[in-house]
Amino acid sequence: MDIQDCGWIAYPEAYERQKALVEKVRKGREDIVLLCEHPAVVTCGRLTDQRNILVDRRELSRRGVEVYAVDRGGDVTAHGPGQLVIYPIMDLRRHGKDLRGFLRKLEQVAIDLLREFDIVAKRSLGRTGVWVGQKKIVSIGVGVRKWIAFHGLALNVNTDLSVFSVIRPCGLDVTMTSMREILQRPVSMRDVKKQLAGCLERAFGCPPPPRDAGESYASSGRA
Amino acid sequence: MHQVVVPELGEGIAKVTVACWHCRAGDRVRAGQEVAEVATDKAVFNVETEKAGTVQRLLVREGDEVAVGEAILVIE
Repeated sequence: MDIQDCGWIAYPEAYERQKALVEKVRKGREDIVLLCEHPAVVTCGRLTDQRNILVDRRELSRRGVEVYAVDRGGDVTAHGPGQLVIYPIMDLRRHGKDLRGFLRKLEQVAIDLLREFDIVAKRSLGRTGVWVGQKKIVSIGVGVRKWIAFHGLALNVNTDLSVFSVIRPCGLDVTMTSMREILQRPVSMRDVKKQLAGCLERAFGCPPPPRDAGESYASSGRA
Repeated sequence: MHQVVVPELGEGIAKVTVACWHCRAGDRVRAGQEVAEVATDKAVFNVETEKAGTVQRLLVREGDEVAVGEAILVIE
């Protein structure tokens, strides 16, 4: 598995990058996971109830928050600075052609990752995502085209949680939280990305990364 | 005549919701073309037609719940 850190990237640009990679993975490229941080943006999944966007579009635009309708599952969500967005572009034919199983594995990746930071997170029966107590810390929504998955999960690391005030996240009356809020300190995004590599490998059945993987986060034998 | 059906999407998924159509009656479609998106939990899956032809009829509407294996589209 290949992990590519895109750093700070506009939402539409990351989307285009995903679409191009979906084609490559379909043609046999190895799975790749993109790591991103987006400027504040609201995205609507295919089953979005527009009433879950609580602020007028013009007001959002005035605040510099664009709204995009996208081809993923789920309702409305928000991205913003301090949130780690993880896009696994994976060929699900190599992972059992099991949509629910894939969602559960993505949750497991986040649960394992949070455990590395001494945060006990869990699933909530019947609701995709990851929770700490009653608060939600990870949102998940994927698209699948020719059995290649894209879109993915958003983990609140140091997210300014006010970004969620303009929506009802995932159409739920839920309070969002972040690693920073739980740990009462800023969390190094770099450390989170490093831990993530191992968690992805465990969930998706690839060999563990070499200890000297260095800064690339890459975990397969690619030089 | 060819019917496009909702494919098997893995364990525990018996029904999906038609999220949106990518074709209308009268459209010409190629084999392998995406004709609809169906949603389950937090995943959206693009359904393709195996055969080329002209879309005759959409059998369900956006927002409808359909069972895996059920036909959603007729192509001739």
